[in-house]
Amino acid sequence: MLTMKQLSKVYRTHLIETHALRSFDIDVREGEFVAVTGPSGSGKTTFLNIAGLLEEFTGGEFLLDGVSVRGLDDDARSRLRNQKIGFIFQGFNLIPDLNLFDNVDVPLRYRGFNGAERKRRIEHALERVGLASRMKHYPAELSGGQQQRVAIARALAGEPRLLLADEPTGNLDTAMARGVMELLEEINGQGTTIVMVTHDPELAQRAQRNVHIIDGQVSDLDRNVTLLHTAAHKPVAMSA
Amino acid sequence: MELKPILKTLLRNKIGVAVIATQVALTLAIASNVFYIVADKVSAARQPSGVDEANVFRIRAANYRDVADPLAQQKRDEAALRSIPGVQQVAMVNQVPLGQSGNNSGFFLKRDQQQSTTNCATYEAADSLVDALGLKLIEGRDFTPEEYLEFTEYPTEGQPLPVIVSEAMARVMYPEESRYVGRVFYQGNGDKASELRIVGVVETLSTPWGRTSWGSKTGGESLVMPVRMPTMSPQYVVRTEPGRQSEALKAAESALIQPGDGRILVPANTMLELREHRYRNDYFLSSMMATMTGLLVLVTATGILGMASFWVGQRRKQIGVRRALGARRSDILRYYLLENFIVTSIGIVAGVVLALVLNQLVAESLQLSRLPLSDLAIGMAMLWLVGQAATFAPARRASQIAPATATRSV
Repeated sequence: MLTMKQLSKVYRTHLIETHALRSFDIDVREGEFVAVTGPSGSGKTTFLNIAGLLEEFTGGEFLLDGVSVRGLDDDARSRLRNQKIGFIFQGFNLIPDLNLFDNVDVPLRYRGFNGAERKRRIEHALERVGLASRMKHYPAELSGGQQQRVAIARALAGEPRLLLADEPTGNLDTAMARGVMELLEEINGQGTTIVMVTHDPELAQRAQRNVHIIDGQVSDLDRNVTLLHTAAHKPVAMSA
Repeated sequence: MELKPILKTLLRNKIGVAVIATQVALTLAIASNVFYIVADKVSAARQPSGVDEANVFRIRAANYRDVADPLAQQKRDEAALRSIPGVQQVAMVNQVPLGQSGNNSGFFLKRDQQQSTTNCATYEAADSLVDALGLKLIEGRDFTPEEYLEFTEYPTEGQPLPVIVSEAMARVMYPEESRYVGRVFYQGNGDKASELRIVGVVETLSTPWGRTSWGSKTGGESLVMPVRMPTMSPQYVVRTEPGRQSEALKAAESALIQPGDGRILVPANTMLELREHRYRNDYFLSSMMATMTGLLVLVTATGILGMASFWVGQRRKQIGVRRALGARRSDILRYYLLENFIVTSIGIVAGVVLALVLNQLVAESLQLSRLPLSDLAIGMAMLWLVGQAATFAPARRASQIAPATATRSV
């Protein structure tokens, strides 16, 4: 689903060069739930940005669903992002001036679906996260956990193959975090590949596989684990 | 199209929308009316006088001592002027087109009529004004030499006279008719009214005040009488051959004034100078109004630019999220241009109503016709363009916001 080989990312200013990722290898299979961990500044967010086609990389190779993304122009990257990837952000990133229905509608409009199709998908996505009855409410009227569920519904509405989650429980209390995590496990159980960046070791443990990044590289230990997982991959069971 | 979500977003930002829409509405109301007034003034200033303006000048000599025989003096002046090389025709007149001073009389269709049918500029010429001004006769004839009358003193009450009228005057007097020669009307009313009979019609003869003056609707309602009158300051219109006006004018100044003859020369004016003097203030006022309106439009554009920049700055994260969710740069650009289009359109709708109300007041106080819808349409198009142009830079900046902004915590 997502393969990076010897990928590098260098940020350059006229004074310094910062190597955010170097010789970065990862292979995420379809249906996997991978947690990406690492200390602050290790390159987790850079990896997520590149994986989500939010940023370009400097060198190496990156295949998304079997397609090389190197050299794609901005429009093609936007289209690919819209069709294949769903995002869940730490701060939810809902649009405050739009109600839940319209928030979930945002990526669907860019996809070019007609009104009836969008409505069907929005209602289904909000039902899936248990918020169908509140689709006319605005984000400010919801708890943090509910807002993150809306963000998940927004990510799911386009039926992406890959879900990228950036600290999805980072702004939630324990109970809400548990609920969101269970929802992600449920989604993964239904076949969607999930890559989750997290600081939380407890959450990472619930993922099917952990990838640890240090200094812009997958640590050696995890590289071995990755290989083992790749050899004998099985989807995790759906949580209750 | 993201019309619905944009409208919903705008409904939650009512103050910003109201500020910009109000600014747009006021600008449209003021700009379209100013445009209309300026266009009217410019059109008036360009209105033909009927005179061969490039080849006609006016010259005056004022007596500061009593003159024994003023009519004889006029004839001497005319002869002197006619003898100047390049001069084609000379006529002593009581007033000149666009000269800004002259006589206006009330004319009646019947003797017993109480209210005059029209008030017109009344030219008195001692020789062919048709030739001296280069007027175009469209019906009838010029006066014959026998028709020119001489009076040693005012008034001319009761005297029957042949007259030449401008077509504009004839239309006011006889709106249902298309032929005017032979028709009789009166200067004044009652027993002392002078009977006037039309012998000729000229296409155009501007009044001394041009348009929008003395109740004249067209500025061209004029009448010529074949009359020589005594005056302390006789004035003459002189028509020259093309290209010889300047030399003839200098010679005319020398011809009229002799040392010790008790006269002083009033500076001569070409017709082009008279036109320029007549409309100088109108042009100045028009350019001032246009400048102020231009500044108003600039302020509105700045307001739109400021609001669009503010919204883009405020929504940086949101724009990054939209990009992350699949929006292309062109989607973001279009979003902001469309948002501005909606806000501007709200202002324009209000502005149209305001413009029409304002126009009613302007039209009544300045005696102008109603604002043409085409002028309003030009104003609307201009504001849409201004709005889009002012929004383009912030919208383009918004479209350049990186999608990775969505994952940044600050």
